[in-house]
Amino acid sequence: MKPVFMTRKILVNRIDFLMRVMVLCLLVFFMPSRAEGAPQDSSQNITKIAQAPSLDALPSDDITRNALTEWDKLYSVFSHPRCASCHVGDDNRPRWMGTDYGLDPGEAQFHGMNVNGGMSRIGAETLPCMTCHQEENSDILNGPPGAHVWALAPVEMEWFDKSSAYICAQIKDPARNGGRSLEAVSDHINNDDLVHWGWSPGPGRTPAPFGRKETVDIFNAWIAQGAPCPDGS
Amino acid sequence: MELSVNGQGYTLDVEDDMPLLWVLRDELKIKGPKYGCGIAQCGACTVHVDGMAVRSCSIRVKSVKGAQITTIEGLGSPKALHAVQAAWIEKQVAQCGYCQAGHIMAASAFLDMNPDPTDADIDQALSANLCRCGTYPRIRAAVHLAASKLREG
Amino acid sequence: MASVKTIARRSFLIGSSAIAGGVAFGVYSYKKPLPNPLETGLQAGEAALTPFVKIDKNGVTLITPRADKGQGAYSIQAYLLAEELDVDPTQVRLSPGVPSPTYYNSTVMNEGMPGMGHVIGRLMGLQITGGSSTVPDMYERLRRAGAVARETLKRTAAKEFNVSIADLTTEDSHVILPDARRIPYTALASKAAKVKPAEASVLRDPKTWRYLGKDILRTDIVAKSTGRQVYGIDLEFDNMFYATVRANPGIGGGVKSYDAQAARDMRGVLDILPVKNGIAVVADNTWRAFKAAEAINIEWGVPPYPINSDAIWSEMYAHIAPEFQNIQRLNAGDVSTIDGVNKADSLAVEYRTPFLAHAPMEPMNAVVMIQDKRCDIWTGTQIPRFVQSHVAKQTGLKNKDVHIHVQAMGGSFGRRLELTYVLQAVEIAQSMPNVPVKLIWSREEDMTHDYPRPATIAKGRGAVKDGKITHFDLGIVGASLTHSGMSRLASPLPGPDPTLTTGADDQPYAIENYRVTGYRAPENVPISSWRSVGASQNGFYHECLFDELVALAGADPLEERLRLCTDAVTRKILEKAGEVTNWSSRTLGPNRGRGLALTQSFGVSVAQIIDITQTMQGIKIDKVHIITDVGRILDPVNLEAQLTGGAIWGLGHAINCELTYENYAAQQTNYHEHAGMRLYQTPEIEVTVLENSPHILGAGEPAVPPAAPALANAIFAATGQRLREMPFQKYIDFV
Repeated sequence: MKPVFMTRKILVNRIDFLMRVMVLCLLVFFMPSRAEGAPQDSSQNITKIAQAPSLDALPSDDITRNALTEWDKLYSVFSHPRCASCHVGDDNRPRWMGTDYGLDPGEAQFHGMNVNGGMSRIGAETLPCMTCHQEENSDILNGPPGAHVWALAPVEMEWFDKSSAYICAQIKDPARNGGRSLEAVSDHINNDDLVHWGWSPGPGRTPAPFGRKETVDIFNAWIAQGAPCPDGS
Repeated sequence: MELSVNGQGYTLDVEDDMPLLWVLRDELKIKGPKYGCGIAQCGACTVHVDGMAVRSCSIRVKSVKGAQITTIEGLGSPKALHAVQAAWIEKQVAQCGYCQAGHIMAASAFLDMNPDPTDADIDQALSANLCRCGTYPRIRAAVHLAASKLREG
Repeated sequence: MASVKTIARRSFLIGSSAIAGGVAFGVYSYKKPLPNPLETGLQAGEAALTPFVKIDKNGVTLITPRADKGQGAYSIQAYLLAEELDVDPTQVRLSPGVPSPTYYNSTVMNEGMPGMGHVIGRLMGLQITGGSSTVPDMYERLRRAGAVARETLKRTAAKEFNVSIADLTTEDSHVILPDARRIPYTALASKAAKVKPAEASVLRDPKTWRYLGKDILRTDIVAKSTGRQVYGIDLEFDNMFYATVRANPGIGGGVKSYDAQAARDMRGVLDILPVKNGIAVVADNTWRAFKAAEAINIEWGVPPYPINSDAIWSEMYAHIAPEFQNIQRLNAGDVSTIDGVNKADSLAVEYRTPFLAHAPMEPMNAVVMIQDKRCDIWTGTQIPRFVQSHVAKQTGLKNKDVHIHVQAMGGSFGRRLELTYVLQAVEIAQSMPNVPVKLIWSREEDMTHDYPRPATIAKGRGAVKDGKITHFDLGIVGASLTHSGMSRLASPLPGPDPTLTTGADDQPYAIENYRVTGYRAPENVPISSWRSVGASQNGFYHECLFDELVALAGADPLEERLRLCTDAVTRKILEKAGEVTNWSSRTLGPNRGRGLALTQSFGVSVAQIIDITQTMQGIKIDKVHIITDVGRILDPVNLEAQLTGGAIWGLGHAINCELTYENYAAQQTNYHEHAGMRLYQTPEIEVTVLENSPHILGAGEPAVPPAAPALANAIFAATGQRLREMPFQKYIDFV
């Protein structure tokens, strides 16, 4: 009888641990929106976007064109393998993608070893991501990358294989971006540990373009110019 | 640095970023966890950190300070087998055996979380442990047997 | 784990032949007795009557000279001895003994030079583990050794207790006297040393066996399930140093220059020195050695082979031409009459198989200590005597002063038929006498310094008439692995290389016009034997071409094989295959397919029938049937393990793996790109073994060759797509 009891206890502890990780994980994505979810006062935005061009100086078509150019840069970040490979849909399967994995440019394959993040997106029901992905990148070529709380992005934030228009609409949709205002998204990019990993992905992996600061600047400039999305679905 | 392995305390002077595997193998001379790939591709180095299966080749020793580390030696012994080890013996899983400590550690942590797994569950949880001899059919059978042993207590 | 040191010390003692107070048994006479290696170093009151059984006052030790790479060789050797000796193999000590010509392997050489194996094996004293030869080679020898030891112990007891030998029996390491007293073998050991050994006795009737043929427990299964098994990589000695090597990934290209300044200053680094083709780091911890090795800047030289895979393939392709013919053992009828066959009834196709790494789970390693006039080596190896003679040459020591302590191995698959890593460890140890040095290769070093399975190309053509295969003509080109391997171990063997065609030109069929030709391409990447050797590629070529011709003829794959089959044992296998898979009434349903292949290798025919489903995500292997015949089954549990393991090995590599070369180096550096099979891809496997063959045969390799073609043929059956090049995942997805 005792072993059964102990097994249950261990099991409970284990689930408790994983639940805590999950909660933490969810907090990472949702906390900013809770803290900053209320509409911001606009003066705060303007001080943040110091380098944005003066909207008065340009005709509106040009503004949109400029803004879309900014968005194209953002799309090149969000669709980059370092980001999109873990922003996957409801198959919950991370991808390996890019020439660093011996694949042709643009070619993707499922993460090896039959890895599946599960509904929890942290592998709680299958194989916890943290079995291999620790708090830091491995310093060995092809070793497992790591960051504080390794996980798939929430399923509604699917980017893998999605068009520019789709990702743009998702980023702007609070129902699919963790309840965030665009400013809160900007803050998330600026401050989230796992997001930052995309620009320091460990040996042998091409980082996402632009770097953290420049991406935040581009994002803010895009917001300041009305955050337009490209046509399409 | 203080470490707790298999219930025993150790004091060590090693680099913070040394992988746990090499602390266990070369500093503490605990040889059950094996070096197979060094990049979390084979799982031969799997140990438990506070009950969770972790690839010891890819976790730095500074991350496990204060944690309870268990290796295959601490899971059970020939005279006091863990149910998973008993199942592995009954099904005669091992061929070369080099990967099996890792498989057993992964399976025991998995069964803690999923006491009655299907074949598909097993395939998702244990496909990150590599066996080059091809013992997989018996691994599946042994996991099911271990699960029933654990359920029956 | 204090036992590591204890065990290490014990193996040192055995290796030194410092056996106190005991007797050693074993016998095998091949016209003239060979020296008994256990006799060296015995002390007063001890004797070594035979090379396979050693008894002292502390217990019985069985000598199991064929190396255990994971295939269970120690276990079956122990059970063969125990069956006659009446000991429990799980309760006695096992030791690989010391390398000796007495332990020569007569079977493995038969593969390379049919009929000559016994003579050459004996003359050269080849103590080799490989070629699925342990069981066939040892079946008689070890039982006889066990019987001789038992009878000698009985003779000793008869003298000692003044009873008739006929009234004595033996049981569980005891001689039983007529009055039921039980005398332990250990108590008789020192007296047995003075008794003339019994002559080879009559061996027991298999009907009376208590171990063989039954579900026996592998002798190492408990240790391997509890983390207690000690492999070479686990050895620890007092004051031991840890070393690693970074050698030129362009094999044999050497080092032009290197800068190790940064590495020298790293924590724990004790020495950095050049070794053949590379740079070694000695440190106080393996990880520190790895880190320092990474920090060395090295400029590599250029090796003597083409720069990349494309160049290797083109050069090879250009050598399928008559002037490069190396071997043609099969040329029945007249295949040239194919030219008169109309196009619709003939076909011509090409196949390729890639280089493949062995990549056993335990990376290459060796512990070496050099002292005044002696060198001790602890390592996993399939070729201890070659290691001994090479090390003797390198150190200037006599063979007898080079002591090899063979360790349990974490896999091999042919990898440990090479000795580069041992020689590197010796080079390092030579620079620091009296210190044990453990060399460990990183996985990356292991992958990029393998001697892979050769890449080869085949051109096949054939013809059919009236629903039957009439012409079968296969040409295979590749570099000679026998030449490559023997160049490193001894000297190249002259003449044709049978590994170019084996598995294709020795199959049990009589086709009217039937030819297989091997063409030799120039040496490219240094290559070696990989589980099932030549048959691993040639079985694929033969069985795929056969299946294509069957399809062209509109024949049934099983019926056509039965029609052409010339071997009674194989015929029974095919018939059984039809029976267990319900072949004749097969209706698998939509998107499903069934493929059949049969390859005879190492004397064993193995049929595999594979069922697959084409899913939206890719091919799923549902089930593999393995049907074979190895003669008498000695260890059914391990036999099943070897056959399933062989099929998984064949399938995993066929689907997932290749080694490609760029800038002279293998591009796949770790398991993320060359894993073989993983659990989720592993199908259900059912094994059926017949016992019609009059021979006792090994099963470690013969299940490999038919796996890939059976899968390719199943995929054709389901999808209509022919896969003629491995790895298959280049062309089709798998789930």
